[in-house]
Amino acid sequence: MTPHPPDAPDAIDRREALRRTALVLAGLVAGCEARRAPAAGWRPRVLDTDQAEMVATIAEHILPETGTPGARAVGVHRFIDAMVAESYPEEERRQFLTALAAFDGGAFLARSASDQVAFLGELDRAADPFFRSLKELTLVGYYTSEIGATRELQYAPLPGRYDGCVPLAQIGRTWAV
Amino acid sequence: MIGKDEPYDAIVVGSGITGGWAAKELCERGLRTLVIERGRHVEHGKDYVTEWLKPWQLAHRGRGEQEVYERDYPIQSKNYAFGEATRHFFVSDREHPYVTPEDKPFRWIRGYQLGGRSLIWGRACWRWSDLDFTANARDGHGVDWPIRYADLAPWYDHVERFVGVSGERLGLAHLPDGEFLPAWEMNCAESVVKRGIERAFPGRHMTLTRVANLTQAHLGRGPCQARNQCARGCSFGGYFSSLSATLPAAQKTGRLTVVTDAIVHSVIYDERRDRATGVRVIDAKTGATREYFGQIVFLCASTLATAQILLNSKSPRFTTGLANSSGEVGHNLMDHISKAGARGVVPGLEDKYVYGRRPTGTYIPRFRNLGARGDAKVGFLRGYGIQAGAGREGWARGADEPGLGIELKQRLREPGPWQVSLQGYGECLPRHENSVDLDPARTDPSGMPLLRVHCAWGENERAIREDVKAQSAQMLEAAGCREVATWDDDGPPGFSVHEMGTVRMGKDPKTSVLNAYNQAHDVPNLFVTDGACMASSSCVNPSLTYMAITVRAVDHAVSELQRRNL
Repeated sequence: MTPHPPDAPDAIDRREALRRTALVLAGLVAGCEARRAPAAGWRPRVLDTDQAEMVATIAEHILPETGTPGARAVGVHRFIDAMVAESYPEEERRQFLTALAAFDGGAFLARSASDQVAFLGELDRAADPFFRSLKELTLVGYYTSEIGATRELQYAPLPGRYDGCVPLAQIGRTWAV
Repeated sequence: MIGKDEPYDAIVVGSGITGGWAAKELCERGLRTLVIERGRHVEHGKDYVTEWLKPWQLAHRGRGEQEVYERDYPIQSKNYAFGEATRHFFVSDREHPYVTPEDKPFRWIRGYQLGGRSLIWGRACWRWSDLDFTANARDGHGVDWPIRYADLAPWYDHVERFVGVSGERLGLAHLPDGEFLPAWEMNCAESVVKRGIERAFPGRHMTLTRVANLTQAHLGRGPCQARNQCARGCSFGGYFSSLSATLPAAQKTGRLTVVTDAIVHSVIYDERRDRATGVRVIDAKTGATREYFGQIVFLCASTLATAQILLNSKSPRFTTGLANSSGEVGHNLMDHISKAGARGVVPGLEDKYVYGRRPTGTYIPRFRNLGARGDAKVGFLRGYGIQAGAGREGWARGADEPGLGIELKQRLREPGPWQVSLQGYGECLPRHENSVDLDPARTDPSGMPLLRVHCAWGENERAIREDVKAQSAQMLEAAGCREVATWDDDGPPGFSVHEMGTVRMGKDPKTSVLNAYNQAHDVPNLFVTDGACMASSSCVNPSLTYMAITVRAVDHAVSELQRRNL
C-alpha cells in the first residue's frame, strides 16, 4: 500500500506549479492582512471594529503564524463574526456579544502581547467557558480554511480508495477531514 | 382530468429504496409503471449541488445555521447525516408537521425528493435469518411471520447482485452470507480490538459492515471514492440509491413514468369490483387534486406515510381505512434502540494512520439469545448487534484540551490517540399501542390529515440497552483498551430511522393486514412492501430485507396479473 500524496499528482506539472505559486501569493496577501485587520473591504456584521480586532488578536494567539499562516491571516475573525451573526440563535448571540463586551474589562487590546498571552493562558487552563468557545470557533475557522486544511494539515478531496493501516509518515499530518 | 386517459399497469407510491426496486422490477417484467413521488425532482449528478464543495466553500464551514436548524429542522437536524452540505435532502419540520404526545417524542426523519431517503441512508445491508422470522412465534410477541428465510433467500441473492454489497462471509446461521464484493479494510486499531474480542469471547465476531458502497466498479457504477460524504449525493454512483441504480434501470425499459410533487392523498377503491383502482393525489405546488389509475398499486411511501395513506382511504366498506378489517393498520410501530454503548482508547499504534475515508464501520453480530442450549440467561428477549468503529482523533480535540499557541498548533499537526466506539442496535418488540393515527380535525399544510404518532420504548428495550452498555465495556476492556466508559444518549423512537411495522404481514387476516406476498388480505391488487409490512424488527438494519420483500412481491403480483387473478 503506497498511497499517492493526497491531493497531488505524481509529478508536479505546470498547473500544479501555478497552484503552488497561487498559494504562496495567498500567503503573502494574508501576511499583509495580518498587519491591518480587519482588512479593507470587509465590514463585520455583529462585531464592532475593536471587537473584530480583539477577536483576530485572540485567534492569532491561539493559532499563531509559524511556518504557515496563523488564524488572523486566514480570516478566522471573519468566520467568527459570520457564525455569531448568521448561525447563532438570538439568545446565544446576545450572550456571546455580552461576554465579548465584558472581556478582560475592555482592557485586552491595551495589554502587551506577552500580557495578552499570559491572560489567555490563565483562562484556558481554568477552562473558562467563553474563552473555550472562542478557542473552538478559532480551530474550526482555521482548520476548515483552505490554508489550514491544505497547508497546515492534509486534505484529500477525492481519496479514491481506503487503506486502513499505513505509516503515519506516509500521510505526514493530521487529516483535515 | 389529467391522468384519466392513462390507465397504467402498475402504480408505485414513493421513489425511495423500495419504490425504486418496485419500479425496476415491474418495468423489467413488462408493466407500464407510474412512480409517484411527493417531493421535488432530483437529477442524479446534476442536482448533487454540494458534492464538490470543499470545507472552506461552505458558508458556515459545516457548522450550518443553528438558528435556522432550531426553527425549521429541530428533528431532522438531530440525524447524523444532516448538515450544511445535506440539508436540502431533509424535510423542513416546520413545513411538514406531525404530532406526538408531550411525553412521547418520536423523531421522524424524512427526505421528500425523488429517491427519497435512499439518497441519505446508512447503506448497511444485512440479511435477516430464521432467528428473526421465527422470533414472534417463539416468544408470542406480535404475530408469526408468514414467511421464513428460505422464502426470501433467492430474492436476497437477486437484490445483492444488483446493489453491489461489499462484505465478508462469516458462515453464521443468524446473519446469513450473501453475494459480496470485496470487503472494506479494517484499520489498525479495529484489527487489535477484533483480535481482543474474539479471543476473550469465543463465538463473538467482529467484521466489516456489509454495505452498499462499491469497492469495485459494478454494473457501470462506482467504484466508491472513499470520501464518506454519501448523503451529499455521489455522481460516481459509488453507493446504491434509487437515483444511481433502480430508477435508471426502470427508465431503460421505456415503460417508466415518474411524477414528482404529487402527494398521495388516498388509494381509490372500487367496492363493486373489490379492487384498488388508482390513487388520488394533491399537487404539492398548486394544491389541486387529481387521480391516476392502474391495475395494481404498490405502496412504498415509507412506514408512516403508507399507514397515513391507508388510514385516509376511507369508504363505506373500509370506514377506518383501506384494507383495515383487522384494525391493525397504523399499529405495531417499531424502531431499533441505539445511541448507547461504550468508548475507549486503543493504546499504541502512534506511528499508524489511514488513507481515505471509509464510508462505513465494523460490526459485532448478535451474540445474545441465539437459541442455543448454552445461551446465557440475560433477562430480556431477542438481541442486538453492535456497530463499532475506530479512528485517530483529529484537530477538533484541541478545543477540549488546554494549550495555546505554537505548542497547540504543532500538537494538532499530528493525529491524536486511536478512539474506538461501540454502539448497540437492539430489537424492539411489536406492541399494539405503539401506533399512528390521523388527527380527526387538523390537516398539515398540504391538506393531509395530520399524522399522530404514539410510540415509546418498553421494558425489554430498556433491558437490552443496559446489556449493550455493559457488554460493550467488557469487550473493550478485554481488548486492552484504556479509559473505557459507557455512554448513553437516550434517543426517542424514530432516531435509528428504522421505523417499521404499521401494516404488518401475517397469516391471519383477522390479526394482520398483508399476506405472505405483501398483498392486502382485504384488497388483492394492493401491495405494501416498504417498512410498514414488517411483523418484527430483528436487530439488524432492515433496508436489504425491504428490498428482497419488494422484489418477491413484484414477482408474485406479475404472476397473479398474468393469471388474471388481480
